[in-house]
Amino acid sequence: MTMSNLDRRRFLRMGGALSLLGAGTPFALQLTAAGVASAATASDYRAIVCVFMVGGNDGHNTVLATDPDSWGRYFATRNTGTDPIALMPVGTSPTPVGQVSPVTGRVVTPDTPESWGGVLPIVPSVAQPIPAGTNATVRTFGLHPFLGPVKTLFDRQRLAVVANVGALTQPITKADYFPNSPAAPRSLFSHNDQQSTWQSGSIEGTQIGWGGAMADTLYSLNGSNVLYTSISATGGALFLAGHTVEQYVVNPGPLPATLIMGTQGVSIYNAPIDPAVVAAAVQDTSTTSTIANDYAAVVKRSIAAAATINNAVAQGPATTVPTPPNYVNPFTGLSQVNPLALQFQAVAELIAAAPQLGLRRQVFFVNIGSFDTHDRQNTRQPDLLGQLAQAFAYFDATLSNLGGADLSSSVTTFTASDFGRTFTTNGDGTDHAWGSHHFVMGGAVKGGNIYGQYPTLGVDDGSFLNPDMVGNALIPTTSIYQYGATLGAWFGVAPPDLATIFPRLVNFSTPTLDFI
Amino acid sequence: MKRLVAAAALVGLASVPLATSLISAASSTFTSQTSTTTPPTAPEAARFLTQATFGPTDQSIASVQTSGIAPWIAQQESMPVSNSHVAYMDNRLAFLRLTNSFAQVKAVDFYNSFWKASVVAPDQLRQRVKLALSEIFVISFAAPEMSPRGIASYYDMLGTNSFGNYRAILEKVTLHPMMGNYLNMIHSAKENLATGQHPDENFAREVQQLMSIGLYQLNQDGTVKTDAAGAPIPTYTISDIEGLAKVFTGFSWYVTDPTVAGTLVAFQGSHLDANSYVTSMVAYPAYHSTSAKSFLGVTIPASTKSDPNGDLKIALDTIFNHPNVGPFIGKQLIQRLVTSNPSPAYVSRVAGVFNDNGAGVRGDMRAVIAAILTDPEARTQVASSSPTYGKLREPVVRLANWARAFKATSTSNWWLIGDTSAPVSLYQSALNAPSVFNFWRPGFVPPGTAMGAQGLVAPEFQAVNEVTVAGYPNVMLKTVYAGIGPTASSTNRPDVRSTFDKEKLLANDAGKLADRVNLLLLYGQMSPLLRSRIVGAVNAIAVPGSTATQGQIDKALANRAHIAVFLATISPEYLAQR
Repeated sequence: MTMSNLDRRRFLRMGGALSLLGAGTPFALQLTAAGVASAATASDYRAIVCVFMVGGNDGHNTVLATDPDSWGRYFATRNTGTDPIALMPVGTSPTPVGQVSPVTGRVVTPDTPESWGGVLPIVPSVAQPIPAGTNATVRTFGLHPFLGPVKTLFDRQRLAVVANVGALTQPITKADYFPNSPAAPRSLFSHNDQQSTWQSGSIEGTQIGWGGAMADTLYSLNGSNVLYTSISATGGALFLAGHTVEQYVVNPGPLPATLIMGTQGVSIYNAPIDPAVVAAAVQDTSTTSTIANDYAAVVKRSIAAAATINNAVAQGPATTVPTPPNYVNPFTGLSQVNPLALQFQAVAELIAAAPQLGLRRQVFFVNIGSFDTHDRQNTRQPDLLGQLAQAFAYFDATLSNLGGADLSSSVTTFTASDFGRTFTTNGDGTDHAWGSHHFVMGGAVKGGNIYGQYPTLGVDDGSFLNPDMVGNALIPTTSIYQYGATLGAWFGVAPPDLATIFPRLVNFSTPTLDFI
Repeated sequence: MKRLVAAAALVGLASVPLATSLISAASSTFTSQTSTTTPPTAPEAARFLTQATFGPTDQSIASVQTSGIAPWIAQQESMPVSNSHVAYMDNRLAFLRLTNSFAQVKAVDFYNSFWKASVVAPDQLRQRVKLALSEIFVISFAAPEMSPRGIASYYDMLGTNSFGNYRAILEKVTLHPMMGNYLNMIHSAKENLATGQHPDENFAREVQQLMSIGLYQLNQDGTVKTDAAGAPIPTYTISDIEGLAKVFTGFSWYVTDPTVAGTLVAFQGSHLDANSYVTSMVAYPAYHSTSAKSFLGVTIPASTKSDPNGDLKIALDTIFNHPNVGPFIGKQLIQRLVTSNPSPAYVSRVAGVFNDNGAGVRGDMRAVIAAILTDPEARTQVASSSPTYGKLREPVVRLANWARAFKATSTSNWWLIGDTSAPVSLYQSALNAPSVFNFWRPGFVPPGTAMGAQGLVAPEFQAVNEVTVAGYPNVMLKTVYAGIGPTASSTNRPDVRSTFDKEKLLANDAGKLADRVNLLLLYGQMSPLLRSRIVGAVNAIAVPGSTATQGQIDKALANRAHIAVFLATISPEYLAQR
């Protein structure tokens, strides 16, 4: 559907500040125009925050099945190689560095799992169904030992696990999967294409992300400040790009916008240079080059927004957002800035400033990485998971007391990642695979539970055939579409719009899960 | 040793049929561009140098005008390598140790070495192609445990081979220890069927996806081949990756000590010395897979004897001879140097030269680079006047453009420009991409733009956002006015700066000043609007009369030069190189 000129004018009035969005904005909207149908009467505030674990997190070492059958296969498979990546069983005490582990018989260093102690048990509020292929009668679970704060959030029912999520265009069985099978999504295992797929549903080259598409249906709730609907604290992200809504990028940390010097206020060079001349030159959209004009449109947005956004966070509850503490590695004691927490700081400030800017729906994007642990997994993944856990705790605590108000039930934070990783090790790391486990956090989340189907673990051998894995990869049992649609429904996107944003949702018998 | 089962398939790949019409088209390109009857004008020379170097200077413009474009390229391609980044790092370390015996060289020392070479090296074409290659064969300081001296060696290697054969680049990249460390081929061990341990797949995957053939089968013109259902045809599957991953097992660090060479501890990196980081990885046959290895239509059968180097040769030859390499690499080099969206015909002409340089040689980069830069689509005004032609200048190239055009000097001669990676700085430092997918993807379509609405790519826009578009002009403001880098005690000014001597001589005449900036930064294509802005801003700075001191007059003239250069460097029409 292409909008008529009349629709377009009406649309522009509704959008208010849409002129900020630049000349190139396409108007070929296929969604319900300007949120007329999608929860337009909502008076509350809601935000979704995508935490992208860049590079493909190893879900097998993030959320673990600890019942004897699952654990046995896990441990046998991963307790091998030059630098074994198998975590230790629940209840194992940390082995001091330099001593021999009673579990593995190896001498322990700070970078070996024996020194971290066992995985942290979590008990889902509803027992997980027993999948085909496993001999388990009850399934039990644990988290990576560096995820202590995440376990606390799970136990406090503020965080849930969604098991084995991945790119799927339709439910697929092991028999249906083969390389280039039409039933399988395109370009599995390719970083850029699967990052794109997680953020948009399609491979590289796609221009609309599902966060932006959701915002397209609801931005009219944001009055004249629609520009601040879709915000990244870590550079451009496809997830945030809508047909109408465009992403806006801020700095991590306390000051969101960077001002362009010389364009306002005092003149430069101690010389009578009119700042208006500099401002006009730097954002000239009237050139004969499309590339130049596209660039200038971003400059124009940057200049138009900078003062507004910095002023908004310099007053009111945004000023109460605490500076995140450094991340201290619990085992080495090394202290460092937590880049994810700094991004959450910026997001929390903007959420706090939302009422002042008249904003009622926002989509955010932050990231952490790299999780592409082909080697040195024991050194790299724990530190990243530790940072993620600390940042989640910081964000939840901050949102729970935003200048005295508890916004935590209005904000839902979820993880995403390129793909999961191989169940087997390559000696000191893991390679690209498919399904993986993810976290959803917030006051609205039905926490303390594991949603979806936690799969059977183990690589096929002569006596064992795992219906949930092809080669070394988990076949996802929950689609990104179901995961996203569940979040979208909570966000207030109307069912017909969800069906447009996730066109393959119809292929799944349960379009949304029950985690929120 | 004859070990190829699917020899026929390999031959099939090697004997890529050459469309003779395309070769002749490429040849005619050479003849039309090498014509000595019409030497390039100064703006034409400047525009060419904007694509082929880190930016035009008075001297390089004159040189191109004198020799003509094609002879200038040939001359540059024949120049010996003028610099060594490893030597810079070693000299820098010796210098730092004069005052601190524990000093180590760091990433920033490499960045400064990059700036020095990019700005002052006479073999400018090599320097520029070297940067382009580093954005295809990506390694990065962003990964853990990357040695600054090792990265300097890798960048030297790309420069040494810029005008050699692609096959040599592929092999030297594969075996460089910094690539080994970056994509984890180093000390990757053979499979273990008992435990299920599998070889590391990282390099096997990315060398195909990013450095040679890409994901989908291509026509010679770079367009994607499709099957009967219209779907793109993948070039490889996971089983090809698993096969290649076996080939890449059993390679690890070179160690100087012969008593440990080939041992497990050396394989695992326990005996590293200064040579290890700058010497090609070596085979450790005990850790190399001897089982059958199938990839890209070729099978190396199982063997009782471990032959890492023999298997590697078969693998790299197979990749090299895949028909995708010409269009895949050719198109990306066009995108790095000339334009983001080359026509299929342009890609086909360049790929044709990759397939056969005219003397029956495949992969001759000297011919490929010449074909890219002399192609009518690179040279003619007709092509470049399209609104969507060209590319966004890379941030590090912009800063180098300024330094070269206005003869910036380094007081220390170390070129201490420093780390420009932050989003509020240039958001780019050489060899510091966030991942092997580079700072930007060749297929990046920027959302919410007119380019994107037309389905066009604009790779460099992946680094463009509201923060970075503010960071860049803020850097230029300070750089143009005062310079960049730490303050040099002898001058009390930043280490790298321009004094705009030539521009000050013209600065009494705003029009002449604007014309000079136009030639050096915008190859004569400055819009009337920008020109009038510059002239107006320059004229707004009064040059004091004869009663003023020389210092006051100088300051006014310098400010006139500053504002003219600043307004040009921040203008979108400058940033969009055409």
